[in-house]
Amino acid sequence: MLSLIVFLPIIAGLIILAVPSSQKQIIRIVSLLAALAQGVVAILIWRAYDPSLPGITAGPGGSPLGSFQFVEKLPWIGLKLGGMASLNIEYFLGVDGISVTMIILTALVSAIGVLSSWTIQKQVKGYFILYNLLASAMMGCFVALDFFLFYVFWELMLLPMYFLIGIWGGPNREYAAIKFFLYTLFGSVFMLLVMIGLYFSVLDPVTGNHTFSLVAMANQANYIQDAILGPHNVMWRYIAFAVLFIGFAIKVPMFPFHTWLPDAHVEAPTPISVILAGVLLKLGTYGMMRINFPLFPEVFHASMYIIGIFGAINIIYGAFCALAQQDLKKMVAYSSISHMGYVLLGLAAGNSEGMVGALYQMFNHGTITAMLFLLVGVIYDRAHTRQIDKFGGLASYMPVYAAIVTVAWFASLGLPGLSGFISEALVFVGAFSSITTRPIAMVSVLGILFGAAYLLWSLQRVFLGKRKPDAAYDLEVGADGHEHIHFHDWKGKIDLDARELTMLVPLVVITIFLGIYPMPVLGMITSSVNKLVEVLTPLAIR
Amino acid sequence: MHSLIQLSIVVLLLPLLSFVILIFFNRRLPRRGDFVGVGILGTAFAISAYIFWTVIVQTYDPAFRVAWNFTWIDLGNVPGIGPLTIKMGIVIDNLTAIMLAMVTLISLLVHLYSTGYMAGDKNYGRYFAFLGIFTFSMLGIVLSDNLFSIYIFWELVGLSSYLLIGFFFEKDSAADAQKKAFLANRVGDIGMWLGILILYSQFHTFSFAEIYANLAAGKFAMSNAWLTAAGLLLFMGCVGKSAQFPLHIWLPDAMEGPTPVSALIHAATMVAAGVYFVARIFVLLTPDALHVIAFIGAFTAFMAATIAITQNDIKRVLAYSTVSQLGYMVLGLGVGAYSAALFHLVTHAFFKACLFLGSGAIIHAMHHEQDMRWMGGLRKHMPWTFATFTLATLALAGLPLTSGFMSKDAILAGAIGFANVEGGGVYYIIPVLGFFSAMLTAFYMGRQIWLVFFGESRTHLKPADDHHSAHHAHGAHDAHNDDHHADHGVHEVSWNMRAPLVILAALSVFFVYSPNPLDGAQGWFMKMIKTPATVVASYQSAVGSGHSALKELPSAEAAGEHASEKGEHTFADPRQAELAHTSHAAHYTAIYISSIMVILGITLAGVVFVFKIIDPDKTAETIRPLYLFSLNKWYWDEIYQATFIRGSLLLSKMLYWFDRNIIDGMVNGAALIVRNVAFANNSFDKYVVDGLVNFTAFSVNTTGAVLRKLQTGKVQTYVVMLLAVVFGYFVFYFTRLIY
Repeated sequence: MLSLIVFLPIIAGLIILAVPSSQKQIIRIVSLLAALAQGVVAILIWRAYDPSLPGITAGPGGSPLGSFQFVEKLPWIGLKLGGMASLNIEYFLGVDGISVTMIILTALVSAIGVLSSWTIQKQVKGYFILYNLLASAMMGCFVALDFFLFYVFWELMLLPMYFLIGIWGGPNREYAAIKFFLYTLFGSVFMLLVMIGLYFSVLDPVTGNHTFSLVAMANQANYIQDAILGPHNVMWRYIAFAVLFIGFAIKVPMFPFHTWLPDAHVEAPTPISVILAGVLLKLGTYGMMRINFPLFPEVFHASMYIIGIFGAINIIYGAFCALAQQDLKKMVAYSSISHMGYVLLGLAAGNSEGMVGALYQMFNHGTITAMLFLLVGVIYDRAHTRQIDKFGGLASYMPVYAAIVTVAWFASLGLPGLSGFISEALVFVGAFSSITTRPIAMVSVLGILFGAAYLLWSLQRVFLGKRKPDAAYDLEVGADGHEHIHFHDWKGKIDLDARELTMLVPLVVITIFLGIYPMPVLGMITSSVNKLVEVLTPLAIR
Repeated sequence: MHSLIQLSIVVLLLPLLSFVILIFFNRRLPRRGDFVGVGILGTAFAISAYIFWTVIVQTYDPAFRVAWNFTWIDLGNVPGIGPLTIKMGIVIDNLTAIMLAMVTLISLLVHLYSTGYMAGDKNYGRYFAFLGIFTFSMLGIVLSDNLFSIYIFWELVGLSSYLLIGFFFEKDSAADAQKKAFLANRVGDIGMWLGILILYSQFHTFSFAEIYANLAAGKFAMSNAWLTAAGLLLFMGCVGKSAQFPLHIWLPDAMEGPTPVSALIHAATMVAAGVYFVARIFVLLTPDALHVIAFIGAFTAFMAATIAITQNDIKRVLAYSTVSQLGYMVLGLGVGAYSAALFHLVTHAFFKACLFLGSGAIIHAMHHEQDMRWMGGLRKHMPWTFATFTLATLALAGLPLTSGFMSKDAILAGAIGFANVEGGGVYYIIPVLGFFSAMLTAFYMGRQIWLVFFGESRTHLKPADDHHSAHHAHGAHDAHNDDHHADHGVHEVSWNMRAPLVILAALSVFFVYSPNPLDGAQGWFMKMIKTPATVVASYQSAVGSGHSALKELPSAEAAGEHASEKGEHTFADPRQAELAHTSHAAHYTAIYISSIMVILGITLAGVVFVFKIIDPDKTAETIRPLYLFSLNKWYWDEIYQATFIRGSLLLSKMLYWFDRNIIDGMVNGAALIVRNVAFANNSFDKYVVDGLVNFTAFSVNTTGAVLRKLQTGKVQTYVVMLLAVVFGYFVFYFTRLIY
C-alpha cells in the first residue's frame, strides 16, 4: 500500500520517459492519472486507518506492528563489515497519526499541482519527469520509518526541486534555485552526521543489532548508555539536537534561516510554489515531530522556551515583512513564514492542545496556502504582473475569482468557520496553557492582528475600489453598455476557467468543512499526539 | 433535548440557509430571491416569538434556564489532564429568549425595509445573503453557552459587518471603512481571546457554567490580579464590538454601509453584542474590573455625545449617538446595574433601529443626500417618517412615557447608587458624566429633528460642486443614479419601508415594557432579568483581599432580608446587595435630575435652532477650538493614523529592509566568503601547490640544461676536464700539506 503510493509517480515518470516529447497531452494525462491514483490510495489509507493505534514508538514487544499501520519492513542494505560493525539499513515504511494526515495532504496537493502544471509549455517531458520524482520523494519522506531511508528521500527531493525552479522559474531563477539547494544541503549534512551517531548509539530490541529504525530510536531504553548519543553523553545529545533542529528549521523555514523562501517562491512557477508551500515546508516540522523531538526528549524539554521564541518571531516578523510587500506572491511567501510560526509555537508548547494544533495547522496551511498561490498564479497568468498596486477594483469584473480570493484570504487570517482558525486557536490554547510558553503566546496573538492587516490591505488594493490609473488591465465599454475587463494578451476566460475551478473548489470545500467539523482530521491525530506528548514529557514530570 | 433547544437550533440555522440559497442562486431566482430572505426571517421570527412566549410569558420565572451541548472536538486521553473535549452548546434563559425575539424581529423588519431601500441595486441578491449570514452569526452569539463558540460567532459577525460596510466596495471610503472596522474589532478580539485563554488554562473548559462553577469553588489557581485581567481582557472584546473608547473609531465610518445595515448591525444588534457578552461574563468580573468598565462606559457616553452635537451628516449624528448610548449600557454594567443596562440594550435597539431606518427613508427620499444642512421642511412631505422618527427621538432623549426614559433612568439611578456605595469622590464622575450626556443627547437630537423636519427646504443652498461630488460618490447605487435634484419629488416612502418604522416606533413606548411609565422595575423585563450572583466574591473572601468598601457595608444577611421584604432578588454578595439597595433609593433622584437635564438640552436646542436666540455659527466661531475639537471627533483618527498605523507601516518597512539587507546579507555574505575562500584556495592551489610542483620540475629542467652543456661528446673536452680535476686535486692536496 505505502510502496504503491510512494512509487506511483515514479512509475508515471518512467512511462513518460518512453513517450516522445512532442506528445505533451499524453505526458500530462499520465501524470494526472498517477496523481489521481495516488489520491485513491490515500483515500483507501484514510478509510482503513485505525485511529486508536498511537504510533510514535513500538507497540508491545518492541514490534512496530502493534503501533504503526500499513507497515512494510524488508532488509535493504545489509553489509557485514567484519567484526562488530555491520550496516543494517531497512526498507521500513509505516504510518501513524502524525504521518497519515500528511500523506493525504501530499496526495491532494500533488494532484492539484499537476492540474496547475497544465499551462507549462517549456520542455513538458522533462518537467513532468522531475515533478513526478519530487512527488515520490515527498511521499517517501512521510512514510519512511528508517532514518537512512528518510534521508535518501529527503535528499532526493532536492534535485528535482533545484531544476524545477532553476529551469522553469522566473528571471532570477538560478540564484533562487542555488540558494534553496545549498541552504537545504547545508542542513542535511549535519543530519547525516547525527544519523550516523544515532546508528551507533541505538540497538534494535528485537534483533540486538544497530539500527536506523526511527521507531527503535524513539524509545530511550534502546540507547547504549555510553554511546556517542547515549543518555550519558549529555553534551553530544544537546549538540545533536541543535544541529538536527537547524536542519529541519531551514526547511520550515524558521527565522533567521528563512530568506531562501521568498526568493524561491517569487521565482518558482505556480505549481512548484504550491508544492513548496503546501508540502515541503511541512517536512521541516514533520521531521521535528518524528525525529528531532522524540529522539531527544530531555533536550526538547529544555529548549521549549527557545523554540517558542523563534515561533513568535516567525509569526510577528513574517507578518510585518508581509505588510511591506508590493509583490503579491512575496506577500504570500512571508505569510507562510508567519503561519509556520504558529506550528513552531504549538510544538514548543509541548502539550496535546498545542501539538494537535501544530499538526492541524500543518494540514490547514497546506491547503490554504496552496489556494493562495494558485490564486496569485491566476492573476499572474492574465496580467503578467503581481504588483499589488497595479490593479484595483477587480472584484467588479471577476466576481467568482474575487469570491474565492475572499474565502482564501479570510481562511489565511484565521476567520472562525474556516479551518485555519481551529488550528491557530488550538496552538494558542496549548501555548498559553504551558507555563513555559505563556508569555510567548501573549505576544504572539499580535500575529492575528497583523495577519488581518496585510491580508485585508492587499485585498482592498487589488480587488476593491476602482481601477487604478496605471492598472495592468484595461476596461472597454461593450456593446451592451457595460464595462468589460480586458487583459493585454490574455485570450482565455477572464474569470476563473473550468481547470482553475477544479483546482480551487475542492480546497475551498475542505477549508470550510474542516473549519466547521475538524474531527475527520483531528480524530486521526489525537492518539498519536497524546503518545508523542507522553514520550516528550520527562519521567520526573510525568 | 428540550423542545425549546430544538426550536432554537432551527432559528439559528434558518438565516444560514437563507445565506446559502441566496449566495449561490440569487441570480436564478425571481426578484433576486429577496422573498427567500424575508420569508425565512419571518419564519425565524415566528419561532423566536413562540420561544419568547413560552419562556417569558408562560413560564415567567427569573431563574429559567435550559441548556444542551455536544462534543465538537475530542482530544482523546490527554497526558496530565485526562479525557479532554471541547464542547459546543446552546443555553436558553430569559435573556436569550428576549434577545432571540429582538434580533429576529429587527432583522425581519430590516429585510422587509431593504426590499424597498435596496431595490434596483446590482448586487441586490447578495445583499440579502449577507444579511442572512449576519443574522446567523448574531443568533449564534446569543445562543452560545461557552466562550469558544461565542468567540467564533463574534468574529463571524465581524465578517458580516465587514462585508456589509463594504457593500458599495467601489467607493474607496467604503473599502477603507470596512477594513478599519475589521481591524479595530480584531484589536478587541485579541484581548478577548487572551481572556478566554486565561480562563481555559485554569479549568480546561470553555463552558460558562463550568468556569463559573470552578470559580465559585475557588479553584482559580492564579492570583487575583489575573482574574481582574481576565475580566478586562474579555471586556476588550466588548470595547471593540460595542465601539467603546478607545476603539470607537470604526463605528462612525461604518456608516458607509447601506443604511438598513446601519440600523440592523451598527445600531441595534451587533454593537449591542459587546454589552450582551459583558452581561454573560458579568459574574466573573472583579470589583476592580467593574470600576474600569464603568469609567470607560461613562467616558465613551460623554465623548461621543460631545462629538454628535456638531456633526452634519444625519447618519453620523446617529452613529455617535449609538456610541454614546452603548457607553451608557457599559456604564450600567460597570456600576452593577445589570438589568438596567440590558433593559437599555433592548429599548435602544428598537428606537435606534427606528431612527436609522427613518434616516434611511429620508436619505432615500432626498436621493442620497445625507447632509442635514441641506435638508429641512420634510415634516410636510414625509408625515409617517416624521411621526415615527420623532417618537424614537423622544425615547432616545429619554422623555417620560417612552421606553428610553425608563431604561436610561434605571442606569443613572444605578450610577448614583454606585457612587454612594463606593464612598463618593471620583466615583461621582460617573453619574455626572451620565447626566451631562443625557443633556447633550437631548440637545443634538433636538437639533437633528429641527434641521431635518422643520423650517424650509434648504436643498437649493447646497454648493453646486459639493452636490455634484456627493452625487457621484453614491453613483454605485445604480437605482438612483439619475439627475433629479434633491428637492424634486420628495415623497413618503412605500409601505414596505413604512411598516418597519411604525412597528419599531410602537416598541419605543413605555407600556410595552412596564405598566408604570416612571418605573421600569415594575415591568416584566426587569423582573425577568435579575443580576446574577457573582462568583468572585466567595473567592475573594476566601483569599481575604476583599474590596475596601466592603468593610463599611451592612452584612449580607441584612441586605438580603431587606431585599426579600420587597419580594426582590436576594444576593449572596454583600456588595451587590448594597448596590441594588442604593440604586433603588436613588431612583427618584435620578428621575428628577435626568428630567431636568433633558429639558435643559431640549430648551437649549430650541433656543439655538428654533428661536435662533443664539446663532450656532457665531457661537462656533467664538469657541472655535472646542468646535473644531468636536467636529473632528477629538482627533482620534488623526492620532491613531500618526501613531499606530504609521508606526506599524514604518516598522514593517524597517523589518523588511532588515530582512533583505541584514539577514539575507549575512546569507549572501556567507556565500561570498565561501566563494572567496574557494578562490583563495584555488590561487593557493594554482600558485603555491602547483607552483612548488612546477618549481621542482623547473629546477630539474634548468639544472639539466646547465649540465647538458658539459656533456659535449668530444674526447678533447673530457681530457681537459679530467686534467683540470687532477690538477685541482694536487693543488688542494699540497696546500694542505704546506699548512
